[in-house]
Amino acid sequence: MIPHDILTLYSAKMLEYGIAVLFLLLFIPFWSYVQGPAKAPARATAASRTPVARAAEWFLTPADRLFHRGHAWLMGGDDGLVTVGLDDFAAKLVGPLSRVSLPAVGASVGQGEQAWSLMAADGRSVDMLSPVDGTVVELNPALAASPGVAERDPYGDGWLMKVRPSRLRANRINLMAGRAVHRWMEEAAAGLRGRVAPGLGALAQDGGAPVAGMARAIDPDGWDRLAATFLLTAEEGPDA
Amino acid sequence: MSSSTTATAAPERSWASEKLFLGMPFWAYLKSLATPGNFLAGLIMAIGVPLIAYRFIFGLGASTNLSQTNPWGIWIGFDMLSGVALAAGGYTLATSVYIFGLEKYHPVVRPAVLTGFLGYLFAVLGLMADLGRPWNLPVPIFFSWGGPSVMFEIAWCVVLYLTVLGMEFLPPVFEWLGWSKARLWAVRMTIGLTVFGVMLSTLHQSSLGGLFLMAPTKLHPLWYSPFIPAYFFISSIAAGLSMVIVESALSHRAFAARIDHKTDIDGIALGLARGASIVLFAYFFVKLQGVADGGRWALLATPYGYWFLVEMLGFILLPSMLFAYGARHRLVTLVRWTAAWTVLGIIVNRLNVSVIAMNWNVPDRYVPSAMEVMVSITLVTIGVSTFRWIVNRMPVLNELPEYRDSASH
Repeated sequence: MIPHDILTLYSAKMLEYGIAVLFLLLFIPFWSYVQGPAKAPARATAASRTPVARAAEWFLTPADRLFHRGHAWLMGGDDGLVTVGLDDFAAKLVGPLSRVSLPAVGASVGQGEQAWSLMAADGRSVDMLSPVDGTVVELNPALAASPGVAERDPYGDGWLMKVRPSRLRANRINLMAGRAVHRWMEEAAAGLRGRVAPGLGALAQDGGAPVAGMARAIDPDGWDRLAATFLLTAEEGPDA
Repeated sequence: MSSSTTATAAPERSWASEKLFLGMPFWAYLKSLATPGNFLAGLIMAIGVPLIAYRFIFGLGASTNLSQTNPWGIWIGFDMLSGVALAAGGYTLATSVYIFGLEKYHPVVRPAVLTGFLGYLFAVLGLMADLGRPWNLPVPIFFSWGGPSVMFEIAWCVVLYLTVLGMEFLPPVFEWLGWSKARLWAVRMTIGLTVFGVMLSTLHQSSLGGLFLMAPTKLHPLWYSPFIPAYFFISSIAAGLSMVIVESALSHRAFAARIDHKTDIDGIALGLARGASIVLFAYFFVKLQGVADGGRWALLATPYGYWFLVEMLGFILLPSMLFAYGARHRLVTLVRWTAAWTVLGIIVNRLNVSVIAMNWNVPDRYVPSAMEVMVSITLVTIGVSTFRWIVNRMPVLNELPEYRDSASH
């Protein structure tokens, strides 16, 4: 054994602490080097397609609205008019919005027919379907100045237009309320999970709040086609 | 092959043919064994098995270069210490998949557990050859407990862990036999066995290093350290991960027809390489800490010091860096060669501790006899042949379709 005097003991201890600190300092860059650069978005794996029981809770679906499968809602008023808007799913799928192109006052809209479009910051837009037949009688004036309100508060200040319905009773058959909304939203969320990229991990796996612009995060190049698929306005028809 | 022959002995032959002879009639199966690899294995066994018998008939003195000064040779250093370290893939992979939920590595758990089981089995067989009176092995285990002895703890741990590994491997055995209910019970035990297995491994992997705490004057100061149990445990993780990378690469080549081609074997190798890289990086600094703690710097400039530096830089730091580079740049071939290099490095380390740097200051140096080397080679050959025999029959590298959707383990 090599004898120590009191000073060599101190210097040995200093060296040991030095090695420990050096290890900790080197470990952090080494760890990040080993892990490699962030992965490019990839198509979902089988595991991420597993349905999530509470997926419907990612998106707000107020009980007093009727929902159309094109992710639009309507709510009846005392004046015989219905208020129409886009739902939380559509808002988070497409947003942030730079413009909402609505039909003119007096124009006719038909349930399941293209009625308005949402334009994102990159200039690309996605069409949406009207949930009801009728005539447009009023547009939300707040949208012209601040289109983002439709995405931030889709069920409140972000309403799109008021419509005088022409055949509301017939239209009701194609609208959903209550549990059916939850089931449908589960399906939509599961469909979204099926395309989720690793970058959206917090949304899909951890129950984190969905972020605006999900479609862009999943597919930066073809986000408008992807969004149109979910909003049922894709030319080749829905697949989600 | 005539159809009438098949018809007359149909029930008996079909079971044996299906389960044992790879679906062939006996004579066709025998013919299929005539391969260069089998010929080499047969040749090694033809020489080695009589040598094992010779050792048991005429004793250690007649067959080895062991002595009172050097009682531990390569049967301990290579078969036991290296074998147990390299078998650590069983507990590292089972823990990663079943405890930490890293499902990506599920396809390599079964081969890792099988490698672990055979590694321990043949380590014990090597130990039997090394013990002067192997028939006394049950004495310390059952009849004369030596509680304070490290050896006692190792003996019990190895016995228990060999049993645990055997039980962990029961699901593929039952799948092979077609015993669905028994398989279900075996699968239900998986988590409990994994937890028990990692406890036992932590204990005895470190205790194998702990054995050398008793030899501070015999082991060279650069290898002797109070941290030696930690060295053995940490390096066993890197050894296990590297062994799984090597074994899965070789299996992928040798058993290509049996591999499930949906398995991302390259991705698994890269993931394991990340783990091995980080473990080796930490291991390097812990070893460095041992040198600083003992104030051994001056010894580095001696011949033993150079050899120590070869181990530290060449077999620990270098593979850590190569693993990191390979994993980051997805260089699977580099990762596999690095894993083989790491396996070699672990063997070098165990031989350093138990043979090369042991009794370094004694004139009577130990060099293994040809018979010792041949017995070790024979045990490895029997181990590899057993692995091949099992993998060719049981669902180890692939999943049987009928169990694919059930909880597979």
